[in-house]
Amino acid sequence: MVRKQFHIEMRHLKSEVLRMGEIAREAVTLAVDSLKTQDVEMADRVHILEEESDVLNLEINDRSMMLTATQQPVASDLRFVSTMMKISDSFERICDYAQKIARITKKSAHKPLLKPLIDIPRMSENIQKMIDLDLDAIKERDVRPTDQLEPMDDEIDALYVQIYNELLTFMLKDAATIDDATDLLFVARYLERIGDITCKVGSKIVFMVEGKRVWIK
Amino acid sequence: MLEDEEIILESVDLNIWFGSNQAIKDVDLKIAKNNITAIIGPSGCGKSTFLRALNRMNDVIPICSTEGEVRYQGKNIYSPDEDVVELRKKVGMVFQKPNPFPKSIYENIAYGPKIHGIKNKSKLDAIVEDTLKAAALWEEIEDRLHASAMGLSGGQQQRLCIARAMAVKPEIILMDEPCSALDPISTAKIEDLMIELKKDYTVVIVTHNMMQAARVSDYTAYFLLGELIEYEVTSYLFEYPKDKRTEDYITGRFG
Repeated sequence: MVRKQFHIEMRHLKSEVLRMGEIAREAVTLAVDSLKTQDVEMADRVHILEEESDVLNLEINDRSMMLTATQQPVASDLRFVSTMMKISDSFERICDYAQKIARITKKSAHKPLLKPLIDIPRMSENIQKMIDLDLDAIKERDVRPTDQLEPMDDEIDALYVQIYNELLTFMLKDAATIDDATDLLFVARYLERIGDITCKVGSKIVFMVEGKRVWIK
Repeated sequence: MLEDEEIILESVDLNIWFGSNQAIKDVDLKIAKNNITAIIGPSGCGKSTFLRALNRMNDVIPICSTEGEVRYQGKNIYSPDEDVVELRKKVGMVFQKPNPFPKSIYENIAYGPKIHGIKNKSKLDAIVEDTLKAAALWEEIEDRLHASAMGLSGGQQQRLCIARAMAVKPEIILMDEPCSALDPISTAKIEDLMIELKKDYTVVIVTHNMMQAARVSDYTAYFLLGELIEYEVTSYLFEYPKDKRTEDYITGRFG
């Protein structure tokens, strides 16, 4: 194989993006767990992860730009480098949402939860699996894992509607719950957005591997 | 897309041998008028041989034999009644190393028109000026037209050679790695010139520099071991090559 250095750099880029995905998954998991258990220390760890994701995302962007400038990738290499840059941005956005959830944990930790959390952790579980599917697809440059994203995101959307209706009932019954209910509604909304982002990552992986544009969700 | 283009030059079942060695195998390729077509491929893939077949430059190689057709405006240039001198006037060529005549800049340009019968001085002056302007060289050398062409820089010499090819009003200009002996700035000037040229001419370029093909050409043909592997709109070929062999070559996994 020629262009050995280029391939070493691309492998490096891939491992950094896989790390970004792991950070994003961990951030979402911790954020929702911290909310459920009202654990402020756990919420602080989400902030640290978010900062780590910002730094790593910049490194990935810099490496991708450097590779584009110095190696002038074409065809599947070009798709790989540009997609890694975009996917890294997507994972970074997931970390931003996780941080917003962690902020809500810290804001509400001193008082009892409006209700025990059941559906929100379910959303989080689906997201963790979806991020894993994305990471498997990137690791193997194989689009098959992305087939499972859409049904899982449908479940997340259904859970979001369910949570929305439930919280609305709380708020209609008792105006004093509006503050807490709105916070939980935001959390559900953030998770719903994260579900969409993991699907978009899947679409980007299909473009990277097969060179065709698909729209997962 | 190629289907929408006017085809000015076309090879049909083209096979070329050097002795018993087959250099080109069954190549069918259509060249679109007023476009730049790039031919890429590893050393020895037959790309220069193919280019030289387009104006019968291979005829000067005794062991070279050609089968099949090359049709210029529909007519086979290998038919016995073809006037090769007239053909090369219509299908000009620029080579890898700048090869100006050891004469003045003016004479380099005026030489072709003169042997094609133009004797009138003011007509020749006009041709020299117009051609040098079209080759983006006039402003750099207008004050030393009668100085030796050998005193120009490599990049200027190459643009002079392109101008010399243009002076006899060809339809097609074939370029065999025209920038491989030039620095990046001179290369950029030639590339700009090529893009200008396609308004009036059809350009076919053989290049080792894949990014040059990607930058300047409208269509790219990938040759391997004498075969045409893939021929596509340039941006498609460099973004989504269909053939694995093309992908391996342009991404540097093979070479």
